[in-house]
Order: sequence, then structure tokens, then C-alpha cells
Amino acid sequence: MNLVGHLNCFVVVAEELHFGRAAERLGIAQPPLSQRIQRLEKELGVRLFDRSSRKVELTAPGRLLLEEAREILVRVDRVYSVAERARLGEVGAVRAGLPSDLGGPIVAALIAAFREQRPDLRLELRETGTAEQIRALGEGALDAGIVRHPCDTRDLELGPMLGQPVGVLLPASSRLAASAEVHLADLAGHDLAVFPRDEAPGAYDELLATCRRHGYAPPAVHQARHPQFALGLVLAGTAVALVPRTEDAAGATWRPLLGEPITWRTSCVWRPSRDPDQARAIADFTAVATAVLRREAGMAPLDAAPARRVVQRPASGFLA
Amino acid sequence: MSAPGELRTDVHARIEAAFRDAGVTGFLHATDIDTGRQVAVHADEPVVLASVFKVPLLVAFHRQAAEGLLDPTEPVTLPPGDRTTGPTGVSVLLDEVRMSLRDLACFMITVSDNTAADVVLDRVGLEAVNATAADLGLPGTAVDGSGRDLLDSLFTDARASTFGEVWARLDEPGMLDRLRALDPLRTSHSTPRDMTRLLGLIWRDEAAPPAECAAMRRLLGLQVWPHRLSSGFPYDDVVVSGKTGTLLTIRNEIGVVEYPDGGRYAVAVFTRSLLPIAVLPQADAVIGTAARLAVEWLRRP
Repeated sequence: MNLVGHLNCFVVVAEELHFGRAAERLGIAQPPLSQRIQRLEKELGVRLFDRSSRKVELTAPGRLLLEEAREILVRVDRVYSVAERARLGEVGAVRAGLPSDLGGPIVAALIAAFREQRPDLRLELRETGTAEQIRALGEGALDAGIVRHPCDTRDLELGPMLGQPVGVLLPASSRLAASAEVHLADLAGHDLAVFPRDEAPGAYDELLATCRRHGYAPPAVHQARHPQFALGLVLAGTAVALVPRTEDAAGATWRPLLGEPITWRTSCVWRPSRDPDQARAIADFTAVATAVLRREAGMAPLDAAPARRVVQRPASGFLA
Repeated sequence: MSAPGELRTDVHARIEAAFRDAGVTGFLHATDIDTGRQVAVHADEPVVLASVFKVPLLVAFHRQAAEGLLDPTEPVTLPPGDRTTGPTGVSVLLDEVRMSLRDLACFMITVSDNTAADVVLDRVGLEAVNATAADLGLPGTAVDGSGRDLLDSLFTDARASTFGEVWARLDEPGMLDRLRALDPLRTSHSTPRDMTRLLGLIWRDEAAPPAECAAMRRLLGLQVWPHRLSSGFPYDDVVVSGKTGTLLTIRNEIGVVEYPDGGRYAVAVFTRSLLPIAVLPQADAVIGTAARLAVEWLRRP
């Protein structure tokens, strides 16, 4: 008999205490499930469940064996995942993606903090945008990442959502730099420098939609992968840049936007791992990354998604 | 001069780029109804049907009518109050309505009336819809419930009590994951290729007897929405028939485009937007744009 398969059936029935629900969870019909439990009881020589017409209960031997069975299943899972990681050559490493505009000091702080926490693990960082990280996580080429929302996080786990208000980087000589806060509409007529759309299409589209809605329709958008390039465009007077708080450089000044209309939302994201060691490694990385982003990048936890008002129109209504 | 293979790659790349620019993940299948020539972009992936489920339902309804299992002119009385939620048709009417089954089918297709669709579905039966899909050779297609069931699942999964509340909370981390209604593996689903096959059967009089197929084509031709498939073909002499599907970030349309020279093309476009925003004109319009890119390629000699 396939003992592991039968023990798995036993554990699921013990958890559900209902053959119908257990069968549904296992994706099989109820009669074969009952047969497997009977065969397991025969093999072990004990009754595992008391079945009455109304309910299913674990017997005393059943309770004893449940923990043992669970342990075996966890070990079996580990055999598979260790084998898989060994096959992919990823033993003892966390492979993580980071956005390219995070900045050198933050990357350094992240590496240092992780090294302190988990000196036993190798950290492989890859500089890559949100869209590419999501793809790589789906394919198993990354274990974790730091992404800008909104993005498609189906089948992935998310860490706490962190917010970072976006302001405008202006030439120091601009008359707008004279006020403490700048209204988006005051930027009318200026070209815009912003991160490339490929990096995080959701956040990019959201940012441009917000600009237009607040009266700023940039005549041209310059996609700057590197913050230094955006700074160059600002210094040259070619564009203004929408970026989180930036230290004033010679010739450029950062000002907050009136009413904080734009907030970048960032979080850690990872693939759930069935291997407890790997799961712990990923959890350690994401905890360290979240702490570093809060401490070094001026990101603050957002308690809840901001309440949105959505007015129903027929063409976008329920099942139109 | 490029080889046909290169042209094909080119049209695929252009369609993918159009989807990307509009901020959606897109799935498309387009086929020449008479020659079988085709364009496929992720055409065999499972997709959420949303209101497109009303098309296989329409076909099952007409097959039952042809077999004499139901009388399409039978009047149905719908008391006020007990209506499936929806933004159009009988769903928004306040008083008692008396209509024939086939007129309810008309509202179900032309304005995507959810109350009408649920009445038709009650009469036809879910099993019959799925049996029709299997019988017509649509292995990737399954309808697993009514409009009412779908709304209940949304409320349960989102822990919300109104559709507006589901929208308002769509931003919450993990919310999109939780909603079965947006997961093709856990809700009514199909593939773009299955849907163009179904349209081809309707247009070639093979889905049901010719008179029934003609009646279905008439209804699909009377659909009111101009913003999706239709927007891609702004030509006075081109007929665009179709059925939309809309559910939160899901925007779909399947339909047939008929040119005056007799060329006729079945197109199925299914999209999912990245932004959790209800009014997203570029996501609607890219359905027309992608369909036009595909149909123009199919029309090249």
C-alpha cells in the first residue's frame, strides 16, 4: 500500500471529521476515501475513527497516530523540497529582487542587516522591477521581492504595506521652489521624469492618472530608470521629477505635494515555501527588508487600504 | 518580403504590446469563420467568463427550443423585489414584469440583464448548459452557477454586503486572491479558442438548427455596448455582433466581425486589468484594438 498517501487521507479526515468535506479537499470521491481509511485501519490493526450516522470522531489510537502521521507527512514534504532545491542549486540561499531605484545606502543596509540575522545563508540580490519580479516569483526564479503596488500578487504572500509620499524634485531656481508645498496643477507645462513604466506598470499608470486628475498633464514623460538620470533632467531644466523625499542636491530642491495626492505603496512579496527551513529563511529576509525600508527609506506602515469611493456605471457594473 | 511565420510573430507581438500599453493581461483568439485561419495569443489559457457565460446559455436555450423542450414564447411573470442584482434591464425595473422567455433571452444578450439571464438559466438548467458545451466540443468551458450565485460568492469572499463595497476594498492586500469569482479555476470559465469555436458554430448554422442560429445572431447583433470590440471597427459598412463580460478587473468581449466582401471573423478577447479601477477606458478600448490587429492580419492575402 502507498502508506504516505493513506496517511495523508487519514490526516485530512481527522482535520475535517467529515468524509464528504475531506474528500472534497483531497479532490477525490467519498467511496474511495472510505476504502482507503478502511485499508489503513486493517494495515495498522486499529480503528482510527468512530463513525456514527451523525458524526465522525477520532478514536484514542487515532488521536495517538495523528501526530505521528503529521510528522511523517512534513518529513516527506521536506524530502521533496530539499530534492527540488538541490536540483535547482539553491540550497542555503535566498534569492530576492529589489527595485533599481532603491538607492545604494538602502541596499547596503539590507545586506548588512540580513548578514547579521542569518550569517548561515547566502543572499542573492537581483536589481529588477516589480513586473519582472512577479514573473520570476511565479516561475520560481526568485524566492522573495520588494514590489510597488498595485501589481498582480495572486498566489503570493505579502508583507506589511508600506507607504511613501511622493513629492516633486525641482530646479532650485524654479519659482515653485519658493513655496513649502507644490500643487500638482502648478507643474502644468513641465515635462515629467518618472520611473519607467516596465518597472511597475500599475504604479506608473496610477501616478499618471492622478497627475491628470489634479490638473497636471505632462507634455512629455521621460522614463528614468536611475534616480541620477532624473536628477540630471531636473538640473538641466528639462523636466520635474516625481520622487519620494530626496536630499537637496546642489541645484535641485524637493518639495512635498499639497494634500499628498500620490503615495507609493511598497511591500515584500514571496512565494509560499513548503520547506520549513526555506520558509524561515524567506520570513527572516522579508522581516529584515521591511525593517530596513521603514528605517532607511522613510516608508511608513499603512494600516488599511485608503477607502475608495466607486460609483457604479452601467457599463462597468456587476456582470455587464 | 517576410515569410508568413514572421508576420505571425509580428501580429502576436503587436497584440501583446497593445495589451501591455493598456495595463491589462490579455488573452485572444481570432479565426476566419470560413477558412479556419487564426491568430492565437494565450488562446488556450483558462479565462473568467463573467457575463460571456450568457452565450453558451443562449445556445443551450435555443437547442432546447428546437427540441421542443421549452416554448420560447411562454410568458414569465417577474414580481418586483426578487431580482438578481445588475446595472441594466429587468434588474433595474421597479414594477412587475411579464415577458416571454425569448424576450428575456433578448435582454440577457443585448444589455446583459442579470435577472433575465437567471430566469433563463433556471429554465434551461446548469447541467444542460454544460452538456451543450461538451456536446459542441468546448472542453475548456464550464458554467458553475447563476449571476446570483456569483454575487453571493463575491460577498462571502470579500466579506462585503454591497457590490460597491467589494470595489472599494479591492485594493486590500490579498483581496484579489480571495475572490473565487476572479479565479478561472474556481468560477465559470472557458478559453478564447473555445469561444471562437462556439461563435463559428453559431455563424455556420451548426450550433442549432438554422432558424435558431439566425435568432442568436440577431440578438448578438443587437448588443448595445460600443466601447469594446465595436470600438476597434469604426466602419459604417462593418457589422460587429458580440457579448461583453465585466466583473471588477475582468473585461471581456467575444463577437463576430463581418465585412462587406463576405469576410467574417470570430474574435474572443479576455482581459484582466492591473489597476483596481472601475472606469478604465483604455482597458475597454484595447479589446477593440487587439481584435482589429488580429482581424486585419487575417484579412491579409
